[in-house]
Amino acid sequence: MVPSRPLGWYGDTYVIMWFLMLVVFAVFGKGVYDRYRLWRLGVDEQRFAGFGQGIKNVLIHGIGHKRILREGYPGLMHLFILSGFLVFALGTLAVAVQEDLHLEIYQGSFYLILTFLLDIFGLAAIVGILMAFVRRYVLKPDRLDTTPDDGVSLVLILGILVTGFILEAQRIAITADPWAAWSPVGNALAGLFAGADNGSLKGIHQLFWWTHLLLTFGFIAYLPHSKMFHILAMALNQFFLKEKPAQALAPIDFSNEELEQFGVSKVEEFTWKQLLDTDACVRCGRCQDNCPAYLSQKPLSPKALIQDLKAHLGEKGPILLAQQAAARQRGTASQVAAAGEGAGAVLEKALTGEVIQEDTLWSCTTCRSCEEQCPAFIGHVPTVVDMRRNLVMMESNFPQEAQLAFRGMENNGNPWNVGWKSRADWIEGLDVKTMAEAEEGEVVDFIYWPGCAGAFDNRYRKVATSVVKLLQKAGSKFAILGTEEKCCGDTARRLGNEYLFANLVQENVEVMNGYNVQTIVTSCPHCLNTLKNEYPQFGGNYEVIHHSEFISRLMAEGKLKVAKELGAKITYHDSCYLGRYNDIYEQPRKILQNIPGVQLVEMERHNYRGFCCGAGGGRMFLEEHLGERINLMRTEQALALEPDVIATACPFCLTMLEDGTKAKDVIDHVKTRDLAEILVDVVQ
Amino acid sequence: MKILVLMKQTFDTETKISLDANGKIDEAGVNFVVNPYCEFAVEEALRIKERLGAGEVTVLSVGPERAETSIRQCLAMGADKGVLVNTGGLEGGDEFTTAQIVAKAIEKVEYDIILAGFQAVDDGSAQVAPRVAELLGIPQVTVITKLELEDGKAIATREIDDGVEIIEVALPAIFTAQQGLAEPRYPSMKGIMQAKKKPMERYSLADLGLDAGLVGTDGAKVKIVELSLPTPRKGGKIVEGEPAEAAQKVVQLLRSEAKVI
Ligand code: SF4
Ligand code: SF4
Repeated sequence: MVPSRPLGWYGDTYVIMWFLMLVVFAVFGKGVYDRYRLWRLGVDEQRFAGFGQGIKNVLIHGIGHKRILREGYPGLMHLFILSGFLVFALGTLAVAVQEDLHLEIYQGSFYLILTFLLDIFGLAAIVGILMAFVRRYVLKPDRLDTTPDDGVSLVLILGILVTGFILEAQRIAITADPWAAWSPVGNALAGLFAGADNGSLKGIHQLFWWTHLLLTFGFIAYLPHSKMFHILAMALNQFFLKEKPAQALAPIDFSNEELEQFGVSKVEEFTWKQLLDTDACVRCGRCQDNCPAYLSQKPLSPKALIQDLKAHLGEKGPILLAQQAAARQRGTASQVAAAGEGAGAVLEKALTGEVIQEDTLWSCTTCRSCEEQCPAFIGHVPTVVDMRRNLVMMESNFPQEAQLAFRGMENNGNPWNVGWKSRADWIEGLDVKTMAEAEEGEVVDFIYWPGCAGAFDNRYRKVATSVVKLLQKAGSKFAILGTEEKCCGDTARRLGNEYLFANLVQENVEVMNGYNVQTIVTSCPHCLNTLKNEYPQFGGNYEVIHHSEFISRLMAEGKLKVAKELGAKITYHDSCYLGRYNDIYEQPRKILQNIPGVQLVEMERHNYRGFCCGAGGGRMFLEEHLGERINLMRTEQALALEPDVIATACPFCLTMLEDGTKAKDVIDHVKTRDLAEILVDVVQ
Repeated sequence: MKILVLMKQTFDTETKISLDANGKIDEAGVNFVVNPYCEFAVEEALRIKERLGAGEVTVLSVGPERAETSIRQCLAMGADKGVLVNTGGLEGGDEFTTAQIVAKAIEKVEYDIILAGFQAVDDGSAQVAPRVAELLGIPQVTVITKLELEDGKAIATREIDDGVEIIEVALPAIFTAQQGLAEPRYPSMKGIMQAKKKPMERYSLADLGLDAGLVGTDGAKVKIVELSLPTPRKGGKIVEGEPAEAAQKVVQLLRSEAKVI
């Protein structure tokens, strides 16, 4: 006998099932279409990177759980549920093919293996659901907020799974299934029904069959209206993913005279992808759990930000769609207005200021931690900056301190507003040439870009000086731009002043392209990111290397040799713009590890989970009025390891952490130093 | 209400001043900005207009062609129109000649009130606006930190040593701005875009009917004999030791070296 199981017990009622199914699919389709129409309210954005790439992304991150499994409990929980879901989809498909297409596939060893898998993964899914219950209703981590939908979704899925197993158990009991061993869970449960008479058992079976069916149909119909919609929206988001949305923000074409709106002031001015983001968010809270602004009690949670936008889209979107429809039907202006009638309050709600508070937007350090942890690959940072752009460029409404920085960058090419003529003063006595001087026939392999901090900040000048000494020791041939260098513009761009940014970039690109610059070594991770990933938008294509990368390369090539020991316990603080933005985690650590005597210790939050110093996104130049001070929190995390030195590789981090040690009154015995400063003391 | 703002374009406040071969101030590579005190005046003018919900803000500047960029900056902030009196080559004037030119140019502008910076950050003479008031024969209140308008009159708060003075004057009058009057806004994109298209009246000295002998170096009452840079400040001295002992040493040094007590 070929292994299989009898199907179609209730074939005579299938008409009802088919009818219900049509209804359910219609409800499902309508639900999905409604969400789709909301996304389409957004403006264009090119995100298609090819089907192959898109599907690969979904396989790696959706099915493969690459990011989700970074966290044990929630990761496994989700893996269990999703794998159950997938195997069940396969099982249902097999049954449908057999029953409705009459292709005899649900039999033989395929049947046995499938039924076995269904049992195992069904059990796993139940375990996953129970884990979810425990987590949400017993453990209650801060990052989860609970709505009725969460409970309904869990109960629905649990109901489907449990009734499924009961059905299987009853079937085994009724048919005395010879292959029951291949259905271990059902088989074990079948004992419950042993001894019941077949007639009444069949009656109960039918009842459960309908319950199971209705629950499943309910699940499908409910899906687009619940958190479970993330199954679709998150998969789409992964299909269209950008690995690091914050790395290169979208430019604005200022030469377009027709542009009247700069930045986003209304929800429909976001791109369709940003609107899709709001549906892809499943409120897992991973972003919030790793957000320095949230953790320091600022009024910003990246999760809440996305959810607030979603709620606003949900209330405003349908009104806009109704207005569009009225306009399409060549309605008069008054008819179009009528479509929005009674919705005036919603239509007039200011996106920045009412839906999203201004303080929320200014609290973001653009550290990219949210993006890095988000399993849905949501781009929080571009969304924040788009709204900042509206505040700065349209409303001229921003924290007062920012104006000083803007003025400085405008008038003197640096946010501290130091006279631009002194930009090259720091090289006095260092035997470094400027490009203008080196023009006369000298070989220059790369330019060294100290950035505004290296050029003007007294403390960071020491770092720039150390880098220069190391480069000279290694025999590198380089020059600087000197007074021709201007702020890279990162601070302006991330504060939302795209116009200022574009002007700075244009001037820098003109100078560098004029000198035919190919390679840049820089000391500032913010310069690094902007020069490397954003300048190409403006015709500036250079190989850009951070000094930590370059120095570690010089060490590997034997051009820099360590001559002394350094008995010190050192912890390295990851700069967001070096680490999360540009994946430079290893090289800085390698430099330290290559110094004999150094004991490198790691803070709990390091590498991609590194905790921001608080200065990114232009926050370096803003006061921190709200909540705890982020730099103190990070300093405390470092001090917990009792290090001798806190090593950094970014001018902002250095300032913030050194200020932290000052405030903690430990500056005398815990030094904050750049890698280059540490190294220059011990090389030959 | 028609509000006129007198604005001077000055060196950026961070500029390192240097002299050229002729002993004149070297303008090469210098950034020019709206004199910060004039910026307070522009901001106050815009706020008055916003408060009243109507009005017109005109910005008038006397200077070389480059002064236009600073007028545009004010237009980007929200002023409605600009007036540039191009001194074209006759720059060597002083406060006297500048006041003559301004007063003459004002004949071409309607106004109910005039605002200006109380001084420019470059020469800091604080004279032009008061002189203009004299030439026009209207009241002036200088160094103000607050301005309230009631019909036909104004109540201004001005800084004096150890306190403030509150003065009521009839309009039209000239007011000069001190820091604290109004923190200048940052131009929005809309402002920057519109500024390019806002009206700008231009006059040469001849257009105003001014005789070359009355303006520029020839008309100036002040003759510059020589310019020199201040001697660089010497680094400070840190006196070490126990407080009592150190204090004694400081007193000694103040007497013998600094000769201030
Ligand atoms: S970028 Fe950083 S500070 Fe901003 S929302 Fe994300 S995690 Fe929070
Ligand atoms: S934005 Fe991403 S990480 Fe944050 S709650 Fe939503 S899905 Fe989770």
